Amino acid sequence: MNLNEKLQILADSAKYDASCSSSGSKRTSSLGNTHIAGICHSFASDGRCISLLKILLTNICIFDCKYCLNRRSNNIKRAIFTPEEICEITINFYRRNYIEGLFLSSGIINSPDYTMELLIKTVSLLRNKYHFGGYIHAKSIPGASDYLLKKLGSLVDRLSANIELPTENGLKLLAPNKDMHKVDHIMGYVRDNRSRNYVPAGQSTQMIIGATHETDLDIMTKSENMYNNYKLKRVFYSAYISVNKDALLPSLNIPPLKRENRLYQADWLLRYYNFKVSDLLDQDSPNFNILVDPKVSWSLKHLDEYPKEVTTCSYNELLKVPGIGITSAKRIIKSRSHFQLTFADLKKMGVVLKRANYFITCNGKYNINSELFNKKFIEANLVLEDRKENAEENMHQLRLFHE
Amino acid sequence: MNNVYIYDGSFINLLNLLYYLLKNNIRPTNIKKKGYLGSLFDYLIELDLRKINKSDALIKKLGKTVIHHIYYVYLSEEENKEIIIYYYLLNYFKYGPNLNKMRNLKCVSETLRISKKVGNEAHKMKGFIRFKELKNNILYASFAPDNNVLEIVSLHFKKRLANEYWLIKDEKRKIISIYDKKDFYILNEEMFNISEYILSDNELEMVNLWQTFYNTIGIKERKNPRCQMNFMPKKYWPYIIEMSGENEKSC
Ligand code: SF4
Repeated sequence: MNLNEKLQILADSAKYDASCSSSGSKRTSSLGNTHIAGICHSFASDGRCISLLKILLTNICIFDCKYCLNRRSNNIKRAIFTPEEICEITINFYRRNYIEGLFLSSGIINSPDYTMELLIKTVSLLRNKYHFGGYIHAKSIPGASDYLLKKLGSLVDRLSANIELPTENGLKLLAPNKDMHKVDHIMGYVRDNRSRNYVPAGQSTQMIIGATHETDLDIMTKSENMYNNYKLKRVFYSAYISVNKDALLPSLNIPPLKRENRLYQADWLLRYYNFKVSDLLDQDSPNFNILVDPKVSWSLKHLDEYPKEVTTCSYNELLKVPGIGITSAKRIIKSRSHFQLTFADLKKMGVVLKRANYFITCNGKYNINSELFNKKFIEANLVLEDRKENAEENMHQLRLFHE
Repeated sequence: MNNVYIYDGSFINLLNLLYYLLKNNIRPTNIKKKGYLGSLFDYLIELDLRKINKSDALIKKLGKTVIHHIYYVYLSEEENKEIIIYYYLLNYFKYGPNLNKMRNLKCVSETLRISKKVGNEAHKMKGFIRFKELKNNILYASFAPDNNVLEIVSLHFKKRLANEYWLIKDEKRKIISIYDKKDFYILNEEMFNISEYILSDNELEMVNLWQTFYNTIGIKERKNPRCQMNFMPKKYWPYIIEMSGENEKSC
């Protein structure tokens, strides 16, 4: 098998991993450095950012996770890279500025420890023989020993382990060989050892959306717990794409992209907008409204607290207004002590008035007919806006991917 | 009569001129690069700007952030960039560092908008530039950005590819940045002529591998050409090796 064919197979089986960020690390070497903000080098046909050479070391796997292309029971072409081959491609791609670095994952060959050793060997060659200073994101293999976790983490920028499904039941059903506690163990280990020299860019994880019956509440609760307990940098959500036929799997023709989008928006609200999962979802409505984004949904539920006066309300209140993002909230706070804000100024600051209009007053002025301040009217309009912006929403979601 | 002040196109002399104008309370109608033809009502004024020699003093006085913004505006191709900078500085001396919060002033919102635009393009180019390896191991890239971002990207590659010889050519402005493992120099194209660019032996193989990777990594169930094009506008495709083939197909 030639190198081209191997690359094709091992990139194909790595492509379902959503993570591609290359940010959050500061590293320099004779060949390469990392960029604190991350850099996108290209955009794939699905619109996703390409910043890392995303490959598996091998697609051979002793496990049989139902949803996975590489599961043992699938009859597919198998390939394995040698560590030298991976180095050669990485270095050559990097020098030509095709990529920001390497994303290396793997199926489990022989045993978790054996696989980890191969990963370590590869990354260590890159760092020590080729003096590669670019970004490396490696997947750790659940069940591998702490010693190996320690070693791998000291060579890479980001280390991650995928939780895959939000509940143990889901995991038992679809990935019977996997054990949630082993993933928890990795996350705890990385959290406890993180430093400038150990996984400097932090850890992330990924969940598959729509392969099991778990609700958005299950998913977001898991995310919230992981953010709080393990200080994760990111949780990625990956709309389930049907690659295998199995009685236990849903037969989806189109991946649930809109749902994935809502989860990303909610995730954003947790991390930057001081929302809690309990603000957004509960047992009575455990799933997000597909028609409007989670922030709009929240504001509609709390309509009695609106409209807010932008010239006096707090930063936190501004953040919760649909159409006002972090940047514009900060700009409003900064500017309003220097001059009298008008709706035109708000627009200049990046406030999306189409959404914000319903929820704010500016110097006591309400921008639309105040008789129309009722839930039905506002909701109908915002649903319409959402639909209109559907395409752009997609873009926003993708922007989240490579932040 | 319109008083139009002329400078040689260099940042240093733009600063010298701005210093002179602000110091002497002169309100120019416009400031233009040499070569500006003017209209019937234009009165072109050209001073010996090097004699003013205040650029360093001005840089010190303005501080990092302000210099950053006006330098980026200077690198843009915006029609009236010089006069925008003039009004920005005029107000800076009136309001001080709080100026950037006053986005209701046109010169402020324009300066920040243009500076951001240039910064964004430079950032994009850090990703989109593609080097080819030449026979003698030199890395060579060409691109055609809207704004004059060659220096910004050169600073980036000076750190990133510190141990390589590289060349980056701006096809639009006919300038080329040359890095000798110590520093880079930006020259006019005609001052530096490589007669032939012979590719290294494994260059084609690497391009092929990259093309394979690129074609494989997109998920077909999620295909989204609009989004792809939005992030990576078509105007850049001719210089992005995995896209340059696509371009020919659609032409
Ligand atoms: S362990 Fe990973 S590679 Fe192996 S079958 Fe499960 S998901 Fe696929």
